[in-house]
Amino acid sequence: MIKQSIIENVIEVALSTGGDFAEVFVEDRYANTLALQDNKIERSISGRDFGIGIRIFSGLQNVYTYTTDFSEEGLIKAAKKAALAIKGGGSGTIHPLQKEIIKPIHTIAQMPQTVKHAGRAAVMKKANDIARNYDERIQQVGLRYIDEEQNILIANSEGKFVEDTRVYSRLAIQATASDGVELQTGFYGPGAHAGFEFIENLDLDYYAGEAARIAVTMLEADECPSGKFPVIIDNEFGGVIFHEACGHGLEATSVAKNNSVFANRIGEKVAPDIVTYIDDGTLPNEWGSLNIDDEGEKTRKNILIEDGILKGYLIDKFNARRMNAEATGSSRRESYRFNPTSRMTNTYIAPGKSKPEDIIASTENGIYAKYMGGGSVNPATGDYNFAVSEAYLVKNGKIDRPVRGATLIGNGAKTLQKVDMVGNNLAHGAGMCGSISGSLPVNVGQPMIRVSEITVGGTKGE
Amino acid sequence: MMTIHEFQEKLLSEAVNANFKEAEIFYKKTESFQCMIFEGEIDTYETSVEGGLGFRGLHNGKMGYAYTEKIEEASIPFLIESAIANADVLDEDDGTDIFEGSDSYNDHGFYSEELANIPTAEKIELIKSIEKKVLAYDPRITTVNYCVLQEFSEDRMMANNKGLSLNEKKNGILVFISAVVKEGDEMKTGMTFEMTRDYQSLDADRIAKEVAEEALSHLGEKSIPTKKYPVIMRYDAAASLLATFTAIFSAENTQKDQSLLKGKVGTEIASSVFTLIDDPFHAESIMGANFDGEGVATKKQTIVSNGKLETLLHNRKTAKKDGVETTGHAHKESYKGTLSVAPINLYIAPGVKSKQELIESVEEGVLITDLAGLHSGASTISGDFSVAATGFYIKDGKVASPVKQMTIAGNYYEYMKNIVETGSDLEFAPGGFGSPSLLVKELSVTVD
Repeated sequence: MIKQSIIENVIEVALSTGGDFAEVFVEDRYANTLALQDNKIERSISGRDFGIGIRIFSGLQNVYTYTTDFSEEGLIKAAKKAALAIKGGGSGTIHPLQKEIIKPIHTIAQMPQTVKHAGRAAVMKKANDIARNYDERIQQVGLRYIDEEQNILIANSEGKFVEDTRVYSRLAIQATASDGVELQTGFYGPGAHAGFEFIENLDLDYYAGEAARIAVTMLEADECPSGKFPVIIDNEFGGVIFHEACGHGLEATSVAKNNSVFANRIGEKVAPDIVTYIDDGTLPNEWGSLNIDDEGEKTRKNILIEDGILKGYLIDKFNARRMNAEATGSSRRESYRFNPTSRMTNTYIAPGKSKPEDIIASTENGIYAKYMGGGSVNPATGDYNFAVSEAYLVKNGKIDRPVRGATLIGNGAKTLQKVDMVGNNLAHGAGMCGSISGSLPVNVGQPMIRVSEITVGGTKGE
Repeated sequence: MMTIHEFQEKLLSEAVNANFKEAEIFYKKTESFQCMIFEGEIDTYETSVEGGLGFRGLHNGKMGYAYTEKIEEASIPFLIESAIANADVLDEDDGTDIFEGSDSYNDHGFYSEELANIPTAEKIELIKSIEKKVLAYDPRITTVNYCVLQEFSEDRMMANNKGLSLNEKKNGILVFISAVVKEGDEMKTGMTFEMTRDYQSLDADRIAKEVAEEALSHLGEKSIPTKKYPVIMRYDAAASLLATFTAIFSAENTQKDQSLLKGKVGTEIASSVFTLIDDPFHAESIMGANFDGEGVATKKQTIVSNGKLETLLHNRKTAKKDGVETTGHAHKESYKGTLSVAPINLYIAPGVKSKQELIESVEEGVLITDLAGLHSGASTISGDFSVAATGFYIKDGKVASPVKQMTIAGNYYEYMKNIVETGSDLEFAPGGFGSPSLLVKELSVTVD
């Protein structure tokens, strides 16, 4: 994407003021976005992002610059300007670039740039019809189709020189149901680190049908009661609770500066024995998977919590310095516009032994969260919140009426301690995770889980 | 590398050759600087120069879009072919055309030479001194977990084959500070931000005091019964809720049955104290524009006047559909997007009482200072929201104690009707949304 000799010159200039590590990240990305509403394809845009990021370290100083000017002159100018921010230090060693060939784990059958819009539109229209035909109360369906081909090149002063191509495909379905007075919505957004084959093979009857079913169910739902309840969180996207509640707190981004409740606690018991929590960027073609991270490190399976014991963190190259630790293949960034940092990939709770039906049957008076919306966390305190998009009351071991407007709040470290049942039906769901290095595709996953007590906020009193 | 002007001219002429009846380019170039301080040292230091170009054009009566960040000859056929493919797949005439221009434009300045000329070193010293002052403020302050200064300047340009050529320059500076406080087992954070074009207004002592006091004020939390309370939404919490629900004022959303304000223009939708204004030139906000995403001249407009919905927000396409004039709210955040509808500086008009006076008027209630989870806990379609909140218990007209983690729940359409009083303390948030503190009749409050 950029001549090797230019990259070598940029690295040299970057280290000219005493930096001890320099890195060049080149990104060339093609994206297509189509939107359907009112039964019509009404938006379609294609584009190409292209930019270069240059990073320099000097001890615990981290200097980053990026530019869309790809001329040698422009790049040297950017590297010079960044290098001026480095104060003192020694001079970094520059190793000759050694090209590394990546054997892709995530094979792509149909590259997006080879697909015609007609193929994309056909899938969208089919999903639209399925959702609309589900129930006469469905009055609007919105679909968003996204595909991306991200070509990256990473080179650094340690001699790393590696290129990779990442392909993402996603279909997001939103159905709106109305009874003439109110409007309620249902959403499902399957995505994968895969080509158009993923979209063509999607079970549209299931995904579009579910989006419509949630919207109609929520139209019929009562207001959610508020108070403290045992909460059963279903599998797949339900894993978002632990993504917020403990995943973010295990990222070096907050751990390195002691801004996390999990800092300095390796080897401590932080959860019941039944909880094992894993981040794995190697799961084939999953939405959060990568062959290499954004520093060029191979992704791996990182066990964060094993049988309740804190085993590790997600660490990037820069925070590894502050922590005196090794990077874990977890450094990510949305694009060349972001300085990379440690982030999750596919994070999940490992399956346990309980059958889902037994978890429900053993709950007397609680809440069953079938589908989650998103949430957020304050990593320093661990206080989290998130929205439940489809919830039910559980009474005497049986799923009762649907309720709406449920929000769960609590503290991650404390909620983790209260997990009292873990199901055997692990599944993963696709989402976007926003943090300091941008918005990234991540999977969250878990089997069905029960937490003995969570504060549920709703519109109806206790 | 081609210059942007060479590229633009070649692209527009190639577009005409490729049977585009009308064509437009939108170019944006941004320079930015960001610096984060940790324990007296520069933790991260970032600079950038970026630019990209969006192209759109009418091809067989339909509007095709494409963009690129690689300004080189080879990108021209890519843009043209992609835009044709994107136009072809649309199911109908997009209903809009390229705009030839307004009769006149406001010439409001959004750029400060003075700010641009202040040396970077001076700005770094300022942000370092803020961190130092926060840490020295009180022994219970353990860390400053975010201590960030951001500066940006951008050039925005539009040109089309109908003779329109517009450009505008903007800059600003933002300071964002968050502190962690600890007392016994209790850990809390407090944050503040400032955004301005007037560098001299950034007073380190004042900012440090503000963030320190904010963080410390949350220590000593207590639980209160879960029930419906009168609520004072502090200016910043009220602005973030307004930002979340802005979509309901968009004509694009009413036309697609995604907003319950459909057919409500001219009717009462809020309490009589609620007045909502969009002012692209408001001095307190660093956002603003002399022209919208279609090149239409912007102007100050009242959206809701004493509770009555005066107009929805329109671009030229939605206006045509509703048989009205565009309100100049075509939104094009960057060259990467298609057109949508959004306000520029939307704010709730202030009243006369101070926040303190509002508090004194409440016998028992809750003061909300921050909301979290708005992206997932609020539905702009139903108006329902149920989100995590931070705040204080009010008893007998006084702030009695911080409250443990809570959620507040309600419906934004009801909320607008239940605003009893608006405060005098209008403030703008970074996205260009402003509000004074609001006294709301009641909301469901659930406490941990």
